[in-house]
Amino acid sequence: MPLIGALPQPITSAPLVLFVYLVLILLLGSALACVLLRNTLYAIAAFAGSMVLVALLYLAIAPFLLVAVQLLVFTTISAALLIGLLRATTGLRASSVGRLSPEWIVGAAVSAVMFALLALVLGATAWPVQACCALPDSFSGVLGSTYAVGLAVLAVVLGSAALGSGLLLAAPTLPSPRGGGSTTSRSPGGGGSTPARGARR
Amino acid sequence: MSAGLNLLLVASAGLFAIGVFGVVARRSAVVMLLGAQFMFIAGALAFVAFARFGLGALHGTAGATMALFAGAIALAELAVGLAMAALVYREHRSFALDADRG
Repeated sequence: MPLIGALPQPITSAPLVLFVYLVLILLLGSALACVLLRNTLYAIAAFAGSMVLVALLYLAIAPFLLVAVQLLVFTTISAALLIGLLRATTGLRASSVGRLSPEWIVGAAVSAVMFALLALVLGATAWPVQACCALPDSFSGVLGSTYAVGLAVLAVVLGSAALGSGLLLAAPTLPSPRGGGSTTSRSPGGGGSTPARGARR
Repeated sequence: MSAGLNLLLVASAGLFAIGVFGVVARRSAVVMLLGAQFMFIAGALAFVAFARFGLGALHGTAGATMALFAGAIALAELAVGLAMAALVYREHRSFALDADRG
């Protein structure tokens, strides 16, 4: 009796392979844009896009629960934390772009195309159903039974992080002995710096 | 043309390298945190790829579980890191983290 059965074969379906390649290219591109953009708000948008693309990639290769958690929990909470930080520090002003301006129309069109594409792909292939039903056990059931200790540790870690970040934010800021840093260039990009700060961006 | 373990591992390595670049080369605390997030995502992606295409497929849910745990840990790291970034901003009026600040 062999110890190891046959390994799963790689994906060979042409549309699915094309989709995986496309998502991977977009993922790496948006990740690169995230770390290269100087405006923090745009970097956060690129990061949220990367998280959505990771969820789309999981749609092809992972259980559906992971896709849902990645898309609904990790993406939204990460973006909310980052936007909350910007609102609490640099302050985000309301957009001056009107609702019928070309920028708004282009953005809405891109969003509509992305949603339509996602709905089309989901409707045509039914990957979530296949991925979910191909599992021997329910993923959530395995999570609750086999990995119960891990889940408990995770809850402790998340609780500690929430408590720690809350305490950090609630702590009064002591005056700096150096009188604070330079404020020569303040921008929502968060990269306020003096020009002679070396080669690091 | 196929998409298998090698492709996803290369993408994972690329994502990890981008994250390292963000942490090392940028000095904005927020971008550094985002770089660390990309490193977490790259690790989770490798777990999922091994669970789908490698020997980990014998235990189909293990990779996804590891990815869930890695994502949650990344979220906790982001929460604490952003609180620290907010403190840095309160003191210096900038997200820049520099050793030569003074």
